Amino acid sequence: MKLYYFSEMPHHEYPDAEGDKYPSLRLEFPNRFFDRNKAAENYRRYLTEYELADQVGFEGLMINEHHSTPSCVNVGVNMTAAVLGRTTRRAKILLLGNILPIEDNPVRMAEQLAMADLISGGRVLSGFVRGVGVETWWANTNPVHNRERFEECHDLILKCWTAEGPFRWEGRHYHFRHVNPWCLPLQKPHPPIWTPGTASPETAIWAGRRGYTYVPFLVPFDIARELFDYYRQGAAEVGRTVTPDNLGFLICAVTADTTAKAVEAGKHFVWRMGPTLRAPVEWFAPVGMRSRAGQQFALRARPRSLATMSYEELRDGHFIIAGTPDEVAERFALVQRELGVGHLLLEAQESRMDHPTTMRSIELMGAKVIPAVARL
Amino acid sequence: MRRMRPREETITVGGIGVHTWIGGQGDPLLVLHGAGGNRGWTRWLDLVSERFTVWAPTHPGFGRSGDADWMDGIDDLARFQLWFIDAAGLGRPHLLGHSIGGWTAAEMVAMSPGAINRLILVAPVGLKPERGEILDIFFYSPAQLLTKTIHDPKTVPEWDALYGTPPTPAQLEIAERNREMTARLTWKPYMHNPRLANFLPRVTNPALIVWGREDQIVPVECGEQYRRLLPNARLTVLEKCSHLPPIEQPDAFARLVLDFLGGESCR
Repeated sequence: MKLYYFSEMPHHEYPDAEGDKYPSLRLEFPNRFFDRNKAAENYRRYLTEYELADQVGFEGLMINEHHSTPSCVNVGVNMTAAVLGRTTRRAKILLLGNILPIEDNPVRMAEQLAMADLISGGRVLSGFVRGVGVETWWANTNPVHNRERFEECHDLILKCWTAEGPFRWEGRHYHFRHVNPWCLPLQKPHPPIWTPGTASPETAIWAGRRGYTYVPFLVPFDIARELFDYYRQGAAEVGRTVTPDNLGFLICAVTADTTAKAVEAGKHFVWRMGPTLRAPVEWFAPVGMRSRAGQQFALRARPRSLATMSYEELRDGHFIIAGTPDEVAERFALVQRELGVGHLLLEAQESRMDHPTTMRSIELMGAKVIPAVARL
Repeated sequence: MRRMRPREETITVGGIGVHTWIGGQGDPLLVLHGAGGNRGWTRWLDLVSERFTVWAPTHPGFGRSGDADWMDGIDDLARFQLWFIDAAGLGRPHLLGHSIGGWTAAEMVAMSPGAINRLILVAPVGLKPERGEILDIFFYSPAQLLTKTIHDPKTVPEWDALYGTPPTPAQLEIAERNREMTARLTWKPYMHNPRLANFLPRVTNPALIVWGREDQIVPVECGEQYRRLLPNARLTVLEKCSHLPPIEQPDAFARLVLDFLGGESCR
């Protein structure tokens, strides 16, 4: 099983009591609490941590994108990919990912991803996501069109990468009369495509049909298994065989020299489970964004929100894994046995977890955990 | 003439089944509902139907009418409701629209002034407010919205019938469907057509604009904008009323409608 390093690049640099005054940390928490100097330091720090993850042997560096929230100030995943493409040497760069439904120019996105792939020497893994409602508000894209735009944006990007230009695209949501990108990815026919899932059966089936790597995020094992079944259903429709290489899973994880230190560091993940997800339902799931099937699955899938769980419960449920290298390796092996995944994505830094703690965790992962789970 | 008891019919227009309330006597009055959907045969309709034959279709995508996923904006709905006038054989009806139904009515009469007799716009969206903003209704829960759309529940005669009991699962499903279709039609530009102000000066139909002084959804100043743009319009503002004049003050509202439609220049 391969391990991936991920930080949301949080900006937890304000008094919590201020954040508590608002209905959510997203959209409405005023950006006067954004500390420009801290942010400048943090970006350099986070990039240094990614660079160490590359050096110690992580298979990939996962990056993502959000907007209007201190939980993640990586506001341009393609920009980060380009930076890492130049400052790292060997790890894959997993963008998970670009939020397709809110993109108004898929041709520009195809070009940017191609350029990141070229700069990195063909290391881009291109994740495509539907995004949460917050980004739909941020971009002011009609949520009713979310799935249609996701699929059409994807189709146009793929055509940019695989069809010879110039060509014309007249779709339902995208219209370009002269498409001829003079920037194509190094990887042929195109970078591998990944897609995450939390609750949408349609996305799992869609990914299965296309053979894309599918990664449930922070869901209980039984929900992940159910989503993988939908993925297999899609794969079976087109006669495709599913291997562990098609499946991934995302959890939060930190390691340290002692159990006590790791457990203390792991507490920083609670912020992303609770306070950063607090919001009126309309903000995360605006009307029409989810299909009826998706809504029904979501109701079943999340009998209990992560926000209501204690740190101990989050650890018991394998949403957070914190321990010595031997302990986390053992838990990762359990995840592998339970789900049969080939890729384990580690959200490995959060909230106010400091630089030395993060760097030590990355070092220990590289020295002891990555070799241990490589055999699985 | 004997007054017709209200009935429900499904009228097929452009391949879409349109669930419609019909009742009353006299000249036809087409009534277009707002984002909250078709509330059925409420008190004000009963009063108005003493002198007019009310046709109250449920917009495609709402309530029990068929889907229209191809629609992208209120101008699509306006074209559709002009087809409805033909399909139902209404001749040249009076037209009354509330909120997004009011915006639809304004687009219809701008597209085809001769197809409409008198025009009544009730707290219509459609114009960008010169001051203030139209509330982002999708940003709030239905419960939060209800407190904003109605000024004082205690004064609403039909409160118990309309809001007194928790909605059934079927009603919740319809409410969700209504919100989805509203999003489809009004998301961007939000609740207005930047070009509408250029169309309205050509609309010479006699027009009545009705607004609630305490409207928390669409600023009452928008009523003044509509009055300025429509050459033959007057504005009436109801006190202690928010966004639902026909429900909040059904008797006063029905009186305004009857007085306006029964006026001397009606025919």
